[in-house]
Amino acid sequence: MKPAAKMTRRNVAGLAAGGVAAAASPWVVRRAYAAEPIKIGAPLALTGPLGSVGQQLKRGCELWVKWQNQKGGLLGREIKLLLEDTGGNPADAVRKAQEMVERDGCNIFTGITLSSEALAVVPKLDEWNAIFVSSDNGDGRLTAESFVPNFFRGNVSAPMGARAVSLFLRTAPYKSFYAIGMDYAWGRNSVSVFESEMKQAKKNFIGSVFSPIGTKDFSTYITKIRQSGADACYVTMAGDDYNAFLSQAAQYELPKKVQLLSEVVDLTVPRAVGDAALGLISSMRYCFRVDNPKNKEFVAIWEKEYGIPPDNNEGEQWQALQILAAGIDKAKSTGTKVLRGALETIEIDDINGIVPIRKCDHQAVQGGTVVKLVKAEGFSYPVPEIIATFPGDKTVPACNKMTFED
Amino acid sequence: MGLLAFFVTQSLNALSQAALLFFLGVGLTLIFGIMRIVNFAHGTFYMLGAFVGYSAARLTGSFWLALALAPLAVGIVGALFELGILRRLYRRDESAFLMVTFGLALVLTELIRLGWGPEALQVEAPSVFSGIVFVLGEPFPTYRLFLAGAGILVALAIWQFLERTRLGLLIRATSQNAEMVHALGIDVNLVRSAVFGIGCGLAGVGGVLAAPLVTASIGMAAEMIIDAFVIVIIGGMGSFPGSLLGAVLVAFVQVFGEYYLPDLALAFMYLVMLLVLVVRPGGLLGKEA
Repeated sequence: MKPAAKMTRRNVAGLAAGGVAAAASPWVVRRAYAAEPIKIGAPLALTGPLGSVGQQLKRGCELWVKWQNQKGGLLGREIKLLLEDTGGNPADAVRKAQEMVERDGCNIFTGITLSSEALAVVPKLDEWNAIFVSSDNGDGRLTAESFVPNFFRGNVSAPMGARAVSLFLRTAPYKSFYAIGMDYAWGRNSVSVFESEMKQAKKNFIGSVFSPIGTKDFSTYITKIRQSGADACYVTMAGDDYNAFLSQAAQYELPKKVQLLSEVVDLTVPRAVGDAALGLISSMRYCFRVDNPKNKEFVAIWEKEYGIPPDNNEGEQWQALQILAAGIDKAKSTGTKVLRGALETIEIDDINGIVPIRKCDHQAVQGGTVVKLVKAEGFSYPVPEIIATFPGDKTVPACNKMTFED
Repeated sequence: MGLLAFFVTQSLNALSQAALLFFLGVGLTLIFGIMRIVNFAHGTFYMLGAFVGYSAARLTGSFWLALALAPLAVGIVGALFELGILRRLYRRDESAFLMVTFGLALVLTELIRLGWGPEALQVEAPSVFSGIVFVLGEPFPTYRLFLAGAGILVALAIWQFLERTRLGLLIRATSQNAEMVHALGIDVNLVRSAVFGIGCGLAGVGGVLAAPLVTASIGMAAEMIIDAFVIVIIGGMGSFPGSLLGAVLVAFVQVFGEYYLPDLALAFMYLVMLLVLVVRPGGLLGKEA
């Protein structure tokens, strides 16, 4: 028979110490984050036709915040993520961001999903005394005619993506081009840059068409592409619209006649449409197959959490938050003015290699990657294979510009 | 592409779209005709059809079984909702139905997100309809031809059902005078449950058939429900032939409008609706015209 535990003085002391520690633990946690948490506002388009993009940005924000808090937060302060759904509506994006400013005292934003939403938010940043680090917004105007000092773009812009594809096409066999884009700020901006690039390269740019956000039937647009007689078609789409377009284009066997090109492609697209995405050539803002140690570490963290590789916008969101973190570390503050000054001269060495922020228009300078979607071992859907890369000095337009001189 | 080939292929495109719109619109209009309620959750039943169809196709390996099972499941969910919730509200005013069906749309959407995840899912067209045929020398997907044919067949079947069967007779009678039908000893509540279930099941058919074109995605309900309301308003609330006419009209206006004036693509459908409302406020074949 096992002897009963005796209530010795040592046991009592141990119990007492344990009790004190248990009672004190909330205090210990509070003490670790003595100051107010750093609030990062993310008014995301979690629903609507671009909901899949917003969901990627949400996952990127959530994992980064969890990872950073596990490392002790920033400046010894816990990071708190404020999430809201805008439905992809610019007016709602402004309203939800304003609520975060007034209700929560938030002065840092990221993840705003659509360029049209970002273009609506940036004129308010000065009034709100807030910083916005874009992780997704492609419209070139955000760092050109619509640029405001409190805006920073951590992601590849539409002109940069269009430029990477255009540089690839200079040595590709395609001669004549058509373009289709979603009918809003990003789609129109990307197509206009591509058109300018093709004309500059003395290629035959036949024309373009824009489909309203939420288009379900692309038969008419596919007819137009076929009728154009183009060798290749540049596609600027995302979310549900992109899935529907590629599914229907494959049903018309369009890719057998016309090479489909794209400014950007998320892995959610080939996962949703399968072989209909096979052969697509696209620029990618972030590709999980980039070969550098920081990216491998990020991919491992991501796969441990979610079980699949990080997607295009998930990597972009991670990078934008890494830029923000480097800025806060350098500024030793989250005050808008000091943080802005720090971010203007920041340089990170992270998932896409060395990426500096350019002071003149707050654009993150990074290279362009062109991929082709191919079948690969271990994947049930087409995955990107990197077929060309271009350095940042070739893919980033001059300060406050959206087009290229050469 | 010759002019004739262009018009024929575009018309076939329009018919295939009209079929999908009809599956949604006819259920919406039947439910309104019998119950005088606007079912805001109708688009969500369409989406549920696509997701259940995805799972059924994966489990059984057959698109055709999915096409049979998913609408059945959606119809049962619809009928249970009528039995469990709507039946308690018939003495309330119309705003109660608006609130409860809108609430159902939100709840069902979140349940679908929880069950199937936020990403769009692929439903492949059946292999027999996965290729193309040449129509006047132009390639045309056989799946779209199948959609157009399915739309015509289902429209004929519903027409025969309403005209030739006892339940069809009761549905027509209930839509005209529910109290008289009740006075004749018919259980009107049963008719209502059946109509709600059939209407939701038809939306489920639309969801399964649309999935190979647009994938099964969380956004598909919101994208389709507006079109369905426009169809019902154009055709006349509660009118079965009206929903057919509305679907064909909207599909043709969209397909040809997008081709000739793409910048006004979104506006065309609403312009037609406005025109109809001005000329015949009750809809083209509506009773209150």
